[in-house]
Amino acid sequence: MFRIDFNKLRFLVCDDNPHMRRILRTLLHSFGAREVYESEDGATALEMYSHYVPDIVITDWAMPIFDGLELAQMIRQPESKGNPFAPIIMLTGHSEKRRVTVARDAGVTEFLAKPISAKALYQRILNVVANPRPFIKTKTYFGPDRRRNTSNAYIGPERRVGGEVEVVQQPSLLDKARSSV
Amino acid sequence: MANDKSAALEIKAFADHHVITQPNPLRKVLRRVTEKDLDDPVARAEKALADLSSEFKNWMTLEADRLSNAHAVILKDGFTDQTRNELFRAAHDIKGDAATFGYPSAGAAAESLCRIIEHSPDLDEVPSDLIAHHINAVQAIVRDRTKLDTVSMAGELSRQLRGVADTYLTHANRDRPEHLEAILAPSIAPAD
Repeated sequence: MFRIDFNKLRFLVCDDNPHMRRILRTLLHSFGAREVYESEDGATALEMYSHYVPDIVITDWAMPIFDGLELAQMIRQPESKGNPFAPIIMLTGHSEKRRVTVARDAGVTEFLAKPISAKALYQRILNVVANPRPFIKTKTYFGPDRRRNTSNAYIGPERRVGGEVEVVQQPSLLDKARSSV
Repeated sequence: MANDKSAALEIKAFADHHVITQPNPLRKVLRRVTEKDLDDPVARAEKALADLSSEFKNWMTLEADRLSNAHAVILKDGFTDQTRNELFRAAHDIKGDAATFGYPSAGAAAESLCRIIEHSPDLDEVPSDLIAHHINAVQAIVRDRTKLDTVSMAGELSRQLRGVADTYLTHANRDRPEHLEAILAPSIAPAD
């Protein structure tokens, strides 16, 4: 059985709503996190991302200046000096399936629809800690592998070419870790 | 702990894409515990949230007032990008927060208002009562929450508003299939 040592993780929380930031801070501290940095807009979050180098980013979608989607796109710049691989959890009131697709295509690692719960947040964090996905770089995309499952039957226009589906997976600790929830 | 970009990356090149794998930098934060370990971080967080709940009524009142203020500006100045965005953000925040704060019906009414703002072809053409009723409903649900007998009424009010809003949106978007599809698609939000 596995647990997450939250006190070794550094979080960046980005939400323009102070009440939601308070909720998130309360949850993360209760999990055991000590380092939780907060910003209320995407621009400040990007600065803090470069400065604090968080392990996990939790961001809202709808925000002033630039939003959580743009923040994800700016983090996912493969040539940037910063870390383009950090897990990004998008926590949002948007609850339509098409939004999930848009967020996924921006490089978001996990999507969490509000209302938030302690269990759902914990599970998303567990997912990104224990079961990281390889990154894919194409002409138009850089981010976590958007395939949760491998389907050799898919023949659509976005089928990757270049041989067999050959994705190097890291050993999954997820199933073991899940038993601790 | 911080991610290290320079950690050894394994890159496999294919005809039109690269697969990049790095050793899991967060693996070190996973700790093996025995079955006897009784620590439950989720339960601890739920208790902390419950301890915070005395603040929720006040927070919800602030959110509802922010929505009413945004609407008052629209009644005075009309719809502009700025006034529309402020109304949408206020409603969107309530949609996301209200259930956590114990006001799921207010969240449902706010979601219905978000759909009107997002999917109406022309907000100036939306019956003003339709928007006003949503905002009044949120206010009524938040202000009267302490009366237990209003809980089912609040749910019914939100359902009725959503029905009227969906009828309007379906008619207004009859020639806009992409919006119709979005309007009719089921929500992925967790159930109450």
